[in-house]
Amino acid sequence: MTSTFVWSRPIAALAVAVFAVTTFAAAQSADQGSLVEVKNGTAAFEVGTNVGAISVHGKSNDLTARLRMRQSPEGAVLEGIEAAVPVKSLGTGMGLRDNHMRKYIFTTSDGQQPDVRFSADKAVCTKADARQSTCELTGNLAIRGTERPFTVVLKVSEDGDTLRAVGDGKVTLSAYGIERPSQLGVTTEDNVKLRFDLTAKQTGSRPVATSGRRQ
Amino acid sequence: MRGVTAMVFRLLTLAITLVVLASRPASALPTMIRIGYMDCASCHISPQGGGPLNAYGRGIDEAQSLRAQDYQPTPDRRLTHDVRLVLQEQGTWNGQTGTNFFRPRLMYRNATNLSRALRVSAIVTAEGADAPRPALSYDPAARPSTLFVNTALLHYRPRESLEFAIGRDQLPSGVNLPDLAIYVRSRNRLGYYDAPTQLKMYWGAKRYHVMPFVYTAGGNEPAGEAETGGGTLAEFDLLGHSRTVAGLTVQRGTASNGDRRMVGAYARVGFGRWGVLAEHDITDRTRNGPTLAAFTQAATYGQVFWAVREWLVASGIGERLTVDAPFEQRLAAGKAEIAARLSSQATIVVGVRFERNLITRRLAKTAVVQTAFKTVK
Repeated sequence: MTSTFVWSRPIAALAVAVFAVTTFAAAQSADQGSLVEVKNGTAAFEVGTNVGAISVHGKSNDLTARLRMRQSPEGAVLEGIEAAVPVKSLGTGMGLRDNHMRKYIFTTSDGQQPDVRFSADKAVCTKADARQSTCELTGNLAIRGTERPFTVVLKVSEDGDTLRAVGDGKVTLSAYGIERPSQLGVTTEDNVKLRFDLTAKQTGSRPVATSGRRQ
Repeated sequence: MRGVTAMVFRLLTLAITLVVLASRPASALPTMIRIGYMDCASCHISPQGGGPLNAYGRGIDEAQSLRAQDYQPTPDRRLTHDVRLVLQEQGTWNGQTGTNFFRPRLMYRNATNLSRALRVSAIVTAEGADAPRPALSYDPAARPSTLFVNTALLHYRPRESLEFAIGRDQLPSGVNLPDLAIYVRSRNRLGYYDAPTQLKMYWGAKRYHVMPFVYTAGGNEPAGEAETGGGTLAEFDLLGHSRTVAGLTVQRGTASNGDRRMVGAYARVGFGRWGVLAEHDITDRTRNGPTLAAFTQAATYGQVFWAVREWLVASGIGERLTVDAPFEQRLAAGKAEIAARLSSQATIVVGVRFERNLITRRLAKTAVVQTAFKTVK
């Protein structure tokens, strides 16, 4: 077993994408796709351990995403969704633990630390009511370069010119061939909970940036 | 007296030698709530906190020091012990007079596993100057001793989340700070020399733990002050992220000279680099005498801390004490403190404290420098 305490998640990227979608929906006409870019989104994670009182929490405020959004009769359509979280932006509040996390979770066999990336070809959002939408993003999530199918459902709410996207997801370490980190008798669980909480303001007809909401 | 002084210096020399020769992290603190360590059981062998750290706790402690390196555990998991040296230099001025106080303490701390479920633990302190809690007419301090057994417990832990302990120790307390001079501790019989004989239980889960206890005299109480009683502590992680803990304490004690009933609430909240520790206790007391006196004491503690670096934590602390007639007291205090974990073996704490007597209007100023060293694998 290797030592470590924390992980990161690409899910943040997904959240960003969702958010972007929502924003766009408010601004664009049906046929014209518009490019949405999101910066400084927040992705947080939590993983339990074999010791009841110990769990590991971390987050990144450096999630970025790009997508193209258009309106369709079924609702907003997101296309070409790409999101990324730099591994170095993930932190747990403990430097040594962060180093362990990057080394044992995110470093490839050749010593690289590629960003955690999410990509999806297309997603359709459905409006729950006038101010809320639900977007299911199904695509691939790459951790240390290994892609696995990944789905996150984001709830997007609109309050004036502010959009907020919130979603939860789950990553299974073993699916990526990642050994559960263990440190001095404390071993993490295989499942890592992810949470995204993003806000964005519409500027004119092009919402282009979001900011993370601290967990 | 010279003999005692010589002995203390010999002990200090021995301790410093051990510090140089060995390494051992410093102890963790409730401020660790800021990064999700919601109670002492995560890092201490004793779930109540205090005493030696477990292997994981030593790793965390090492990681939180300026040196911040990986901890290499020893293969012997049966015996965990260390020697801790604490040197405290304190100066106090009240506007008319000033006093200086140097208090060296040498502690031996041990936790020995007798079997998978049984262990014994002990903390023994030798000190060069006494630091009894305030000598109050309604609650005289326990007798200090140059050599004092703070803890002597037999523990039975049938499973990870459940432990019973019997012996002598400090009683479980709310926010559980190591500074025993603060009002919520020193005014509730939680001083350096308060170690009643007790039976207690720890039952914990991911989001809560409870710690009921019964106790009787420790043997060093003044005549008529030997207390028997019981109580419990219960705390809960409100939001489930291990950073928002709220708890309650209740305790009832009976002695020949008077009784007390305490109810307290406390909170530990962390936000990454900063956090808040708070406690408020209300104690109804009776004092026997020619006429029975019944009165209330309220003690409040609040601390906001900020981790400037992982190894450097600054705090602003406020305290309040109110004791009703016939033992009326009104005290308010503020303190600024910086604690630095310079290495895995050494910590230093520098603080200034201002205490105002709200009845006499007298202001006392105190400056404290405390260094602590730990040893031994």
